[in-house]
Amino acid sequence: MFSTTGPYSVVARSMLNGALLAFREINQSQHVVALEPVVVNPSGDLTQYRELSLDLLKAGIRQVVGCYTSSSRKEVIPCFEKHDGLLWYPSHYEGFESSDNVIYTGAAPNQHVLPLVDYLVSGVGKRAFCVGSNYIWAWENNRIFREALIARGGAVVAERYLPVGDTEFDQVIASILDQRPDFVFNNLIGTSAYAFFRNFRAACRSAGIEQANEIPVASCTLSEPELGEIGSDAVDGHLSSSVYFSSLRTPENLQFMQAYLESFPDGPVASADAEASYIAVKLLAATLAQVGNDEARAVRGAVANRRLAAPQGEVRIDPQTFHAWLTPRIGRSLANGQFELLLEARQPIAPDPYLVQSSPRFATAMHPPLLRMVKS
Amino acid sequence: MTFRLLQNFKGSRALVISRLSGRESTLETTLAKLGVACEFPEIADGRAQIDIAPLSPDRDILFVDGDLDEAIAIDVDPASKLPPVPVIGIVGVEAPGRLKALLNLGATAFLRKPVHGGAVYTALFMGINQFLLRADAHARLLDLEERRRGRRAVLRATILMMREQGLDEDAAYSQLRRESMRRRQSLERFCEELLSRWAKPPDTSDRTTSITLQGGNKQAM
Repeated sequence: MFSTTGPYSVVARSMLNGALLAFREINQSQHVVALEPVVVNPSGDLTQYRELSLDLLKAGIRQVVGCYTSSSRKEVIPCFEKHDGLLWYPSHYEGFESSDNVIYTGAAPNQHVLPLVDYLVSGVGKRAFCVGSNYIWAWENNRIFREALIARGGAVVAERYLPVGDTEFDQVIASILDQRPDFVFNNLIGTSAYAFFRNFRAACRSAGIEQANEIPVASCTLSEPELGEIGSDAVDGHLSSSVYFSSLRTPENLQFMQAYLESFPDGPVASADAEASYIAVKLLAATLAQVGNDEARAVRGAVANRRLAAPQGEVRIDPQTFHAWLTPRIGRSLANGQFELLLEARQPIAPDPYLVQSSPRFATAMHPPLLRMVKS
Repeated sequence: MTFRLLQNFKGSRALVISRLSGRESTLETTLAKLGVACEFPEIADGRAQIDIAPLSPDRDILFVDGDLDEAIAIDVDPASKLPPVPVIGIVGVEAPGRLKALLNLGATAFLRKPVHGGAVYTALFMGINQFLLRADAHARLLDLEERRRGRRAVLRATILMMREQGLDEDAAYSQLRRESMRRRQSLERFCEELLSRWAKPPDTSDRTTSITLQGGNKQAM
C-alpha cells in the first residue's frame, strides 16, 4: 500500500519497487511459500488509506506492507488493530509508538535524528533553523532534535512549518538568510522538500553565499530518488542521516543494487525506504514459511529476533518493541545523485522508539557518540 | 519547587493493585517498553499486601483497579489531596461510586479495562506529570499562604520604620525590601524577625544590639 501518485510519490514508488523486488526474489528462489502481492495506491489521501486498509483486511489480506507518512500510519493502525492484521511499516519515523499490529522495519529516532545531532554539533555548528511539513513527523522530529541540540549547548533560532505539498518558500528563505544559522534542519517531505532545496540554493547564490558550505541543509529523510527530483543545480552538499545509502559497498548491497537496477531501469532509484520495504517483505516471507499461516499473532511471535543479512548489514527484529536493529550512517549528497558516506556506526544499534535509553529523565544530556569517523 | 516535565520513565516501578486475570500482560509488556518494571502485590482477604510508606514518588507509580473494594488504603494529604506516589486508576465498571473512590485515592490518570497498549503511554505521561503539577501548585500555595500570614508583619515594620526614622511609606518599604534581599530572606520573614527583636524587653542583651540597616546607616530602633 504505497502512494505511487501524490506529493511524496517518488519515495513511495521506490518503496514499492523495493517490496516488489523482494517478492520477485522469493518467488524465483522456489521458497517454501509463494507470495502474490496485491498493490493498492491511496494517492497520499488519508481517507483512501483507511478505506483501502479496510478493503484489504475484509478481503482476507492480513499482512500489509505500506505507508510512508506517519499521519497515514496513524490513520490505518486502528483498522489493523480491529481486524487483527499486521502492518509492516517500512520507513524511518519519529518514534513514540509501538502498536502490537505493526512491525517497524525503518529507523527509530535514536537511529536517525540523535546521530545527526551529534554530527552537526561536533562538525557543523550549534545554531539551527528548522523547517518542516506541517504534520506529526516534523513536529515530533523537531522536538527530539531541539531537546538534544539544546542539551549539547546548541540553539534553534526558528521553526517554520508548511502544508505538505506547499512550495512557497520566499518568506522562510528570507528569514533563514536574515538569521544566518549554522545549518538548516529539514523535515519537509516530497515536492515541498525538492522546491525548498532548489529555491534555497538559488537564493544563497544570489546573496553570494556558498550554501552547501556556509548554511548546509541536514535531513533525516533525504534519499537518492529525491536527489534526482531536486535537479542538478542544487543536488550536492546536503547532509542526510540514514541507515542505508545505495552507495554502500557491502556484498549484499551490490547484489541488491544490481537486481534493483535490472528490475526497475526506469526508476525511481533505490532509497533507504525502498531497502526497508525489501527487508519487510523478506522478513514476512521467512516468517510465513516458518509459521505456515498468516495469522497476525503467530507471525508477530515468530518474527521476534529474526535476522536478515540486508543490503545495509545485519538487521534483526527487537522482540520487545518490534522495531529493527539498524546501522545509523551520515552521508553527503554528490552531484551524481549519490551520497558519500561520512560516518557510520560500528554495528547495528538497538531501536529505542520511546528514547528510554537515549534521553534523560527530565532533560537531555550528553552521551558518547554512536558513530565513528570514516571520512573527514 | 518548580515543575519539570517528566518524559522518560526508565527505572520506574509500577505496582499494579489488581486481581490477576491474565489480561495484565498488555500493561506489563507496554510498561516494559517504556522502561518501567511491573510488580503485582498479592491481594489477601481483599487487601493488597503492600506497605505504602517506603514508596518513593521519584520511582514508584500505583495502578489501582477501581473494581476492587478498598483493596488499598492510601493516606492522601488532606490539604493537597495528593497521594504519596502517583496513582493511575484502572477503570472497569464506570459507576460514579467507583470513579469517586479512585478520585479519593488521588488518581491523576485512568486506563480502561481491558488495557489497550496504545493508551498506556498517555496514562503514564499524564498521571505522573499531573501529580508533579499538583505537587508544584500545592507548594506554591503553601508559599503564598506563608507570605499572606506575614503581610501583617510587613505593615507593622513599615509603620515602625516610618515612626523611628522619619521616612515616608515608600522609603520605609523599599529600605525593608532592600535589607531583606541583602539577607536573602523573604520580606515577610525579615519583618517578623525585626519586630520580634524590637519587641523584646530592654533588659535582654538582644534589645541593645539593634539592627542597623544598610544604606541609611541608621539604627532601626
